[in-house]
Amino acid sequence: MTSIAAISTPARRRKLVGAGRRQWIGLLYVAPAVALVVVFFIIPLCMTAWMSLHNWPLMGARSFIGLDNYWAILRDTRFWNALRFTGYYTVVVTIAIFVVAFPLALFIERPRQMTGFYRTSFFMPAVIGFASASLLWSWLLNVDSGLFSPAAFELGLTEKKVNLLATFQPAFWSIIAMVVWKVAGFTMIILMTGLQSIPPDLQEAAMIDGAGPLARFRAITLPLMRRTLALALILSVAGSVLAFDQFYIILRGGPRNQTLTAVYWIFNQSFVSFKLGYGAALSMILLVILVALSLIQLRLLRQPEGVD
Amino acid sequence: MRTIITGLAFAASIFSTLATVGPAAAAETANIWVRADGSNFMPRIVDAFNKGHENQVKLDIIPNAEIIPKYGAAAAGGTAPDALSLDLIYTPSFAAAGQLEDITDWAKSLPYFNSLSPAHVKTGTYKGRIYGLPFSADSSVLIWNKKLFKQAGLDPEKGPTNWAEIEAYAEKVNALGGDTKGFYFSGNCGGCNIFTFTPLIWASGGDILTEDGSKATLDSPQLRGAIDLYRSMVKKDLVPAGAQTDTGSNFFAAFAAGNIGISPSGAFAIGALNTQYPDIDYGVTFLPGKDGGWSSFAGGDNFVVTKGTTKIAVVKEFLDFAYSLEGQTILAKYGSLPVRGDIANEALKDLDPRYKIAAEAMAKGRTPYSVVFNDLINSANGPWNQMVNEVFFGEDVDGAIANAQETMQSIIDSAPQQ
Repeated sequence: MTSIAAISTPARRRKLVGAGRRQWIGLLYVAPAVALVVVFFIIPLCMTAWMSLHNWPLMGARSFIGLDNYWAILRDTRFWNALRFTGYYTVVVTIAIFVVAFPLALFIERPRQMTGFYRTSFFMPAVIGFASASLLWSWLLNVDSGLFSPAAFELGLTEKKVNLLATFQPAFWSIIAMVVWKVAGFTMIILMTGLQSIPPDLQEAAMIDGAGPLARFRAITLPLMRRTLALALILSVAGSVLAFDQFYIILRGGPRNQTLTAVYWIFNQSFVSFKLGYGAALSMILLVILVALSLIQLRLLRQPEGVD
Repeated sequence: MRTIITGLAFAASIFSTLATVGPAAAAETANIWVRADGSNFMPRIVDAFNKGHENQVKLDIIPNAEIIPKYGAAAAGGTAPDALSLDLIYTPSFAAAGQLEDITDWAKSLPYFNSLSPAHVKTGTYKGRIYGLPFSADSSVLIWNKKLFKQAGLDPEKGPTNWAEIEAYAEKVNALGGDTKGFYFSGNCGGCNIFTFTPLIWASGGDILTEDGSKATLDSPQLRGAIDLYRSMVKKDLVPAGAQTDTGSNFFAAFAAGNIGISPSGAFAIGALNTQYPDIDYGVTFLPGKDGGWSSFAGGDNFVVTKGTTKIAVVKEFLDFAYSLEGQTILAKYGSLPVRGDIANEALKDLDPRYKIAAEAMAKGRTPYSVVFNDLINSANGPWNQMVNEVFFGEDVDGAIANAQETMQSIIDSAPQQ
């Protein structure tokens, strides 16, 4: 936003006629995008805010109740538990994605034999929707007719078939594995573009100076990739805070409601308990949290980088 | 219950809103919705109605999980259908929301009003007024695999009649070994277990809610007894490991695969097994109490009318037709039990005799009454589902029951009062 303002200010000093026309044409160009944002984002957002101030059942009469929904959220321990779980999940899954995606990016960055094949196969799961991937994995994870448990049993690794989804730890880590499988390829591509934008002569110069591979990674690769890293990080965090599909489809929030995420709780309040107003208020809270998180991460972007 | 169960059998094929039956005529046309569970019999009966009447009905089939939110949105936007075939357990909450037309006078004027399915009429009544009348019906029953019974040295024609027999027979079948298991239930599905597990409690004299739904009554010896039966079968490994995490998707499919000895199920399974799995030789009996006796969950749809509709005459005409012998026979033939007790036998006379057991179960079946049924029972994250999963497979039975009792009561107490 700030960069757009910075560009348009000096334009005004030029000849009025031309500048005015140019601005109108510019407006015309962005109009479709603005219209889309207004219709599909701004208006629904305002409606959500409006709904959050009401006792708004799915059916029947609604009534204005001011901030009562928000006060109720303060006492809603199950929402805060869901939020805590979402935070835990976000931290774990983001680390897991980067631990897998970074080595993959380093591996496929430079052209070598079969790079195209590797890039394609690592990226492939990213083109599947989360819901389809969840359905696929809920079969893979099924204890009776799936793949993992029966395979481990047949290979003699376990004494009997283990139901991976029955207790928290195996269920949670199964979801993490599924998300990493699904998302790491996408993060890998982002990181790869960052790696490729580092001028090779810097690396060569460092090599001549006698820097080892680890030192080069730490002193050149990482600092020069800060923006790419921040982008990948924001995408990963925003995606994880909004996680829903995989927990709904594979675990139904179980075992014993231990994997209810914030969005899952909003869904339950809105469409199981039919409290749309309360669901809207919860959505507003989640929006504020997400915007705050993104702002913090955007600050990382703003810091000057050594070479640019 | 049926929402989740049969839904999976049918919903896959009807995932988008479709099936618009009947041409627009000069006379009036009423719009009616049904959930995907009704996709077998509803188009048939609407077709038959449209052929013989000047007034017409236009039918929309809505996916099970979406019909409630979709109806709510349509009602808010003024585009709700004139009438709706609604899962009967939702009738109290719809009526409480002031969404439905009071049809008490018309209902009571029907000469066969007293033979209509009592479970439907009970859930269709809110504060003494009638808002819903029975349309389609499904009752819970116990089914067993005759082939496996024979292999295990049991009498294939005799199903279990009490809890001890359920466990003993399941053990015998389980002893066949291999992939064969004695018993199956969906251990992480609230709807499935209210449908098939509570009848065990009812048949033994207990209940989980008071008659008017104002008190949760979970801490009873009958509930504990039924829990012990399931726990014991789980402990003896008579139940496949997947039951613990089955959210209902295997409710029917597990038995249909042919390697389960006994499974609680519903009347819908008779039609589904006959048409989709003709090779399975199975018997149908009642869900028994601890020492005999039996009970059943009477499920299905109530027919409700949107408040303020202008097409109420057409809607009544259609319901009259559905209640005729012709209508009841069409319903029975395509997967719903008859809802008129006085002509049920006649409607079923040419059909699979196993339907008679299910129809009898329906006639004496029960349905819990609550305006917050979804929150209490059907929600995958609600107190009922959490409790059944813990008491069947977990360690702390007492804690789970106490916790569910408290949570259910607090949900009931904080329900909106109109």
